[in-house]
Amino acid sequence: MTAISRSAGSRSVPVVETDDWVARLSTPGPGRDAALRQLHGLLLRAARHQVARMTARNPTASTLGAERIDEIVNQSADDAMVALLGKLSTFEGRSRFTTWAYKFAVLHAAVEVRRHAWVGREIPLEQSAEPWSSGPTPAEYSEAAALSAAITTAIETVLTTHQRQIVIAVLIDDVPIDILADRLGSSRNALYKTLHDARDALRAQLIATGHLPSARSAAAR
Amino acid sequence: MNERRQNLTPEVVRRLTVDPHPWLSCDDCFRLVDQYVELVLDEGALAGEQMPAMRAHLAGCAACREEAQTLLALAASDRGLVANEIDDAQRVLTN
Repeated sequence: MTAISRSAGSRSVPVVETDDWVARLSTPGPGRDAALRQLHGLLLRAARHQVARMTARNPTASTLGAERIDEIVNQSADDAMVALLGKLSTFEGRSRFTTWAYKFAVLHAAVEVRRHAWVGREIPLEQSAEPWSSGPTPAEYSEAAALSAAITTAIETVLTTHQRQIVIAVLIDDVPIDILADRLGSSRNALYKTLHDARDALRAQLIATGHLPSARSAAAR
Repeated sequence: MNERRQNLTPEVVRRLTVDPHPWLSCDDCFRLVDQYVELVLDEGALAGEQMPAMRAHLAGCAACREEAQTLLALAASDRGLVANEIDDAQRVLTN
């Protein structure tokens, strides 16, 4: 058994592993084979959990049949196993090994469910944001409508065409960022940077027009 | 008018205007997310103060947030937390 500690603010939080996973997975022999089987079981659990959460919440994903779900779970666990073992030397003990391991299966399963949910669906890249309105009461309606109009204007005037297309697809039309990246031959990182820069531009414009508080006035409240 | 855009919901307003700083890439979010969910379980809302870039990224990236929520549920389950405790931790993660 190994026990390590990491600093978390003012107190030290013990992180206790029930086994030395890295050593077991790195040392050839029957111990490694057993560790690999145990690890694969953990990855299956994590992948199954991710798929279950997404199929419960996403109407499109919920149409996946039991057989397809099993395929996704098993393939995700297998792919996660390969990815994890390739990164084993980077595990620094900043979390439990099991938590570190789960994230590989969660990522692979999530990407695969999103991919299946969007197979055959077109993603039209909109150039223009149209005005919206909402709000259950007259006062809220007015405030929401003013904010909506301001946001629409900001989207039309301060964003580049590329930023506008990505913002509308991901933030308004709910296209998953990894699906859009795949269709555009881009990457999740690159599209998130586009969103980051677009939000900066939108916020600056909305602060300038008085629709959002400045960082200074927000901090003073 | 495109029917999908007749309502600007509070959630869409939040997505469009959330403060994206400090900057963190999706790759770095993946590298740190196991540490962050355990910090949330250990420290609650203080986790966001200790790792503000993770808090900002999860507020602004739906895909990373969706994956972090599952990871939190798995880590919480391993600790033997019960449903309402996990729900509390999920609220911290997504606020």
